[in-house]
Formats: sequence, C-alpha cells, structure tokens
Amino acid sequence: MGLYSESPDWADIEPIPQDEGGPNPLAAIHYSEEYSEAMGYLRAVMARNEMSSRALALTEDIIDMNPAHYTIWLYRAEILFAIKADLHQELEWLNETALAHQKNYQIWNHRQTVVDRVGSPAGEAEFIARMFEKDAKNYHVWSYRQWLVRRFDLWEKGELEDVELLLKHDIRNNSAWNHRWFIVFGRDDSAVAGDVIQREMDYAKDAIRLAPQNQSPWNYLKGVTRRAGNPMSSLKDFASEFASIERPNEVRSSYALDLLAEIYSQESDGKLDAAVALDLLAKHYDPIRANYWNYRKALLEQPATAA
Amino acid sequence: MSATRTDSVHPPSLQASSLDTEKHIKYWLRCLKSPLPHHYISNDSNRMCIAFFIYSALDILNVLDASVTPTERAEHVDWVYRCQLPEGGFRMFPGSGFGKLRNEQNRKWDPPTLPATFFAIQTLAVMKDDFHRLNKRGILEWLPKLQREDGSFGQMLIDGVIEGGHDSRFGYMATGVRWMLRGTVEGSLDGIPDIDMEGFCHCVEESQTYDGGISEAPFHEAHAGFEFCATSALSLLGRLPQSSNTALEVPSKGLTQLDSTVQWLVSRQTATLDEEDEFDTNSDETDTSMTCHDSHSFVKLRSFPSKAGEMSYQDRSTAHFELQWAGFNGRPNKVADTCYAWWVYGTLSILNKQHLVDAEACRRYLLDKAQHMIGGFGKMPGDPPDIYHSFLGLATLALQPESGLKGFDPALCITKEAKQYIESLQWRKAAISGASDSLNSSLSSTSSESTNTTSQSTISSDSPNIEKNFSYLAISGG
Ligand SMILES: [Zn+2]
Repeated sequence: MGLYSESPDWADIEPIPQDEGGPNPLAAIHYSEEYSEAMGYLRAVMARNEMSSRALALTEDIIDMNPAHYTIWLYRAEILFAIKADLHQELEWLNETALAHQKNYQIWNHRQTVVDRVGSPAGEAEFIARMFEKDAKNYHVWSYRQWLVRRFDLWEKGELEDVELLLKHDIRNNSAWNHRWFIVFGRDDSAVAGDVIQREMDYAKDAIRLAPQNQSPWNYLKGVTRRAGNPMSSLKDFASEFASIERPNEVRSSYALDLLAEIYSQESDGKLDAAVALDLLAKHYDPIRANYWNYRKALLEQPATAA
Repeated sequence: MSATRTDSVHPPSLQASSLDTEKHIKYWLRCLKSPLPHHYISNDSNRMCIAFFIYSALDILNVLDASVTPTERAEHVDWVYRCQLPEGGFRMFPGSGFGKLRNEQNRKWDPPTLPATFFAIQTLAVMKDDFHRLNKRGILEWLPKLQREDGSFGQMLIDGVIEGGHDSRFGYMATGVRWMLRGTVEGSLDGIPDIDMEGFCHCVEESQTYDGGISEAPFHEAHAGFEFCATSALSLLGRLPQSSNTALEVPSKGLTQLDSTVQWLVSRQTATLDEEDEFDTNSDETDTSMTCHDSHSFVKLRSFPSKAGEMSYQDRSTAHFELQWAGFNGRPNKVADTCYAWWVYGTLSILNKQHLVDAEACRRYLLDKAQHMIGGFGKMPGDPPDIYHSFLGLATLALQPESGLKGFDPALCITKEAKQYIESLQWRKAAISGASDSLNSSLSSTSSESTNTTSQSTISSDSPNIEKNFSYLAISGG
C-alpha cells in the first residue's frame, strides 16, 4: 500500500523494519507511514551498498523528510559518483532543498563535495544571492562562501563589491562585515598594504557615521586598528565625534563611549575620565550591561597588569 | 516609531516571574512516556540527543525517582545500550541499524558518532547506570582517531575518512567523553593514546575572531554556540586560562584574548526580543525594523534614566521598564533567542563571569516571554515549545540557580548530582588515581563481569572481540 511496496521497481527488495529491540524506547517518534516505509527500503539498499538511480531517488525522498540523517548524504554522494549522475542536475535539486531547509548543515557539506567535483563555481553566486534574500545572515551559507572563495580563488572576483551591496541593504549585517574581514585579511599571511588599511578604516568610519549605534563597524574598526599595530588612542578623535564626557546628554553611541573609556584607561592620568565614561554607560546609555561597566570601573582601581 | 510588542503583550506590572514547575514536569513526562509528534521526524537521527534532553530535564526537575519506575528505567538504559556499536561508540538512532544484516561492508552507513556517544554517556550518567556495559576502552581508543591533523575533531569515521565539520562542537563532545571516562589525566592510559591536547587548543586559538568572539573556523563569524563549545572543551581539559584545576604549567593556549571574549559574550544580552521590534536610536540613522536589531541596548539619557548603574553589580534591579526582560542573541545585531541564553550564560558561568550580565533580566525573559503555558520554552516570545529550547531554557535557569531545580554544571551540561555520580564511580577513580604507574594493572583487567549484562544487546553480532572490549574498566559499579 505504499509508494515502494507497490512499485515493480522495488519488488526485489525486502525492506528492513526499524528495530527498537525492546519495550520503552526513548525519544520514539510518531512516524508517518511514508517515512517508515521509505526508511525500511533505505536500510535495505544501504545494507546491500546498492549504487543505483532508484536508490538515489529514494535518498531524495527521505532527505525531504529528514535532512539531518547523517549518513544518507555520504551514501548519496557515493551513488552520484558511482553511477556518474549529472552533477548539474544535482545542484539544481540541492538549490530547492537548501531553500526549503534553511538551517540544515549537511546540505552545505554535500554541496561542497559536488561543486568540488564539478570543478567550477559557475552559478554559485546567483544561488547564494537567492539564499541571502531569505536570510542574509545564514551561517552555513557564509561558511560555504568562504570555502568557495578559497577553492576557486575568488578573492578579487567581486566579493568586496558584493559585501558592500549587502551592507548597503543592511548596515548591521555582521556576517557581511565578517566576510569583508575575511576577504581583506584572510588571504594569506603577507602584510596588508597601508593604503588598504586606510581604506578599511575609512569604510568602517563612514558606516559608523551613518548609524553610530551599530556594533559591527565599531568592532571592525577596532579590529583593523589592532591588526595594523596602531594604538586605540589613534581612534580618540573619531570616537569623540559621537561621545564626550563633557557633554553627557549628547552621547550618540555607547560604543564610542566604551572606546573612549578604554583609551582613557590607558592614559597616565585618564582613570577618572574612564570612570566617568563607564558610569555613563552603566547608568544611562547601556544599563543592561551595568554589571559589566561597573566591573570595568573596578578594574581601573587595580594596578596595571601586563595586557 | 510604533510601540514595541513588549508593551502590548505584557501589562506594566512588576509581579514576580515564576517557573511553572508542574507544567514543565507534565511537558517532559509527556515527552518521555508517549511518542513525539510527527514533526519530530526531521529529528529522527537526533534521537539520542533528544533522549538526553528528556532525561536530563526530568533530572533537573528532580522527578526521575518519583515518575520513572525501576523497570521503566532499566528498559530505558537497555535502549541506550542497544545503540552501542561493536567498533566503540554509539549510533544516534535505531533507524540506521541493519539488524542481523550488519556486516563489515555496510557498517559504514551505521557508524558510531561522537555526538551520539557523548549524549549516550551523559544519559547513562543521569540514569545512574553503573557503566558495566559501556565499551570504555573501545570508545577511548576511537577518540584520537576522530582528531585531524589540524587538531579539530570530526563527527564520525567513514572508510577511514574523518567526516563532519571542523568546528569546536565535536571537540567539545570529544573532551566531554574523555572527561567522563578518564577525567583530566593526560597522556597514554593503559596503552590507549590520548587525544592531541596541544593541537586542539591551537585549533581553538585560531578560531578567535577580530571582534573578540570564537567562530567555527579561522575567519568565520563569531558565534555563541562555538564560543560555548570551545570554552567548555578547554574547561574539561583543565586548560582554561587561570583555571584553578590546571595542575600543569602550560602556557595559556586556547583562549588568549579573555577580556575581549568576556566583553563579546556580555554584549550578547539584548532587549530586542522580536524581529518586529522597532525603536529609533537616533534620528539621523537609517533604521528600519530590518536593520535595527540592537536598539534596545541604547537608551537616551533624559528619557529613560536608570537606577541600575548606581547599585553594585551583585544586587540590583533595573528601573527601566523594557530592560526588565533581556535575553541573549548568538551573534552581534541579531534578535534574542532562548537557546542563546544557555550558550552565552553557560559560557560565562564556565569562565566564572556570569555576574557581569543581568541574570535577573534573563530569568524574566525566560519566564515571562519564552515560557509556554503548556510547559517548556519556545525559541522566541509566543513560539510553541520544542524540546531543544525547552531543555536549554530550563538548564539556564538551573544555572542561576532557580529554586525547585537541581544545581547544574555548565560544561558537562548535566546536574551537579549527575556529575558527582560520575566522579564517584570506582572504576573511574581507580583509572585516575592509578595514572602514574598502577595504571596498567587496574585498567587491563578483562574481567568476565561484562557477561552479567541485564539484557541482550545487538552489539555482539559481528565482533568476536566485543566481550573483551566490553569489559574495559569494568572493575565495579558505582
Ligand atoms: Zn535557538
């Protein structure tokens, strides 16, 4: 009465029923008939190591119901290569599957296997754009994208431009900021040129001027400063555009205040100013983290330790 | 801008938030005693993990003895052991098994996995099983084989290839298994090689990000889940910076930017609880509901004075209405989600820095926003409960601690009582204390006790060595 038991294509296969082995199994699930039946046939073909197009179709059916099945993906990949299946067709199927199961990791691992075998990134940028339309912060997609860049040497093939587009759409997309960091600093160990450092500082500063209360470009700016070996005090003028302890009513960014506190704390006579900045954060501008700001204030009293 | 949902859903009162213990017990007993609804099919291959959540939740709620009969519990234990495989380690779900047809050629499709093994041993500890039937030697021999050259761990071995991501999740589970079976003893144990500790710590160190967090791999985005896994793993290895249980004089490898790490974690607390929250932070900004995810952390001086900062950080309450409820996100500029309360608060607890966040606001977020009226917790306010968020929400409260809940250990993710039970096991004590030279004699005894299994097991179908392997460390019960 099922899709498989009634099909002549599967008449030679004896399904292997699931065996809980005893009473009171844990985390038992109310399986649908479709799932139970398909899984019985999957076990049977896996047990025979069958490499066939019918087995391929069966894995599709089950992946649709349970994409987290951890060996079905490896089994599917082995079949694909064994029967020399059309890998472009595989990618098309994967597109729909990935769009339907946004949070699944295995899909991306499989895509990597297939695209690696295909040997070309053609079409991948378009598909990633489709994924980003649904969720521009999808962690798996960004991880996959890093793999693509490394695998196919795409460092200068529009990555930076694409990041800028995504940030234009949502300047708070931290994943896009992180990808920018990867493209600029992740390439190899060689030093990044001074004009690139300057460009990145300017980019982050412009983004902050657009939306001062946005932690992503502040983190980026501090990261670039550290990476370039410059002291945080080199950002003092910039941070002062958004916060000043002399004008406590006009603070436009808690992140600027935080940075100023850090800079003051490193100055020989800046402890008091740092305490004022931290107080403003605790009491007015970031009270959720009052405990943390007070802790930072308490650290000011301690003798300086090697950082 | 429009009023937030927070205002409309909750009356402006300050009534005490409370944990509806009875409802949670009902929710978890239902999960234990009747089949899960069909939408859990997509989690069929996570059944061992679900089993762990269910048992551990009932342990936190302190109702296992009252609600599970000895016979039921023995049958549950048997179910876990039926997922043990002759190669060492566990499968995640019965659905991958071939029964009598399992053989050398096809067993690669039904492999032991690190997550399954970790959750199975945790579950057995919560069940207070005596571990007689656990193939400890097989598991410990298998662990180093799952570690790659770069120090990372994979999920499973297929045809000699380490499969699964390179991130710290599997490293966490490997160190968890290692801790449960051999404590923090370093080096070879009864001829079983240890994992490459330095390699793993290096791997964690490399995954630190420019913004102070920890990511999946070098240059990937920092993420609270990986932060938790990496920190827990270092803790279970005794390798946290300034960790008091570090007996060795090793340079602090792993977390090398602790101050930034702590600030990154503390920055995850947010009052932005809903995608629909809108709150203008600054008139000159181009904020929309799509872009403004962390606006609630920014409050204008004159409009919302807060008493918070005037009080000490041990004992205070937030005066500002909306800031009474503050959950955690997993990455910068994301909305709060119940599970990240665990990943962030748990990590801070391991680092002993949990007092730096607003634990009370987190508690109120969990109880007033995420707790569901049928018991359990949802992912976000108004969401129906699911097992994953229900467990992690409960575990977070147990860490705080919460009256009526057993104390909880963040790194092992089990109750302190279950952790103490593991520490009390005689075979484990013998293995750890004999670590210098009495090791070999205590660990290599291949006693015949292993045949005293209380029920039959599927594992002996294709391995003649299983009896021998099985008896590893089976010196005595708990
Ligand atoms: Zn979640």
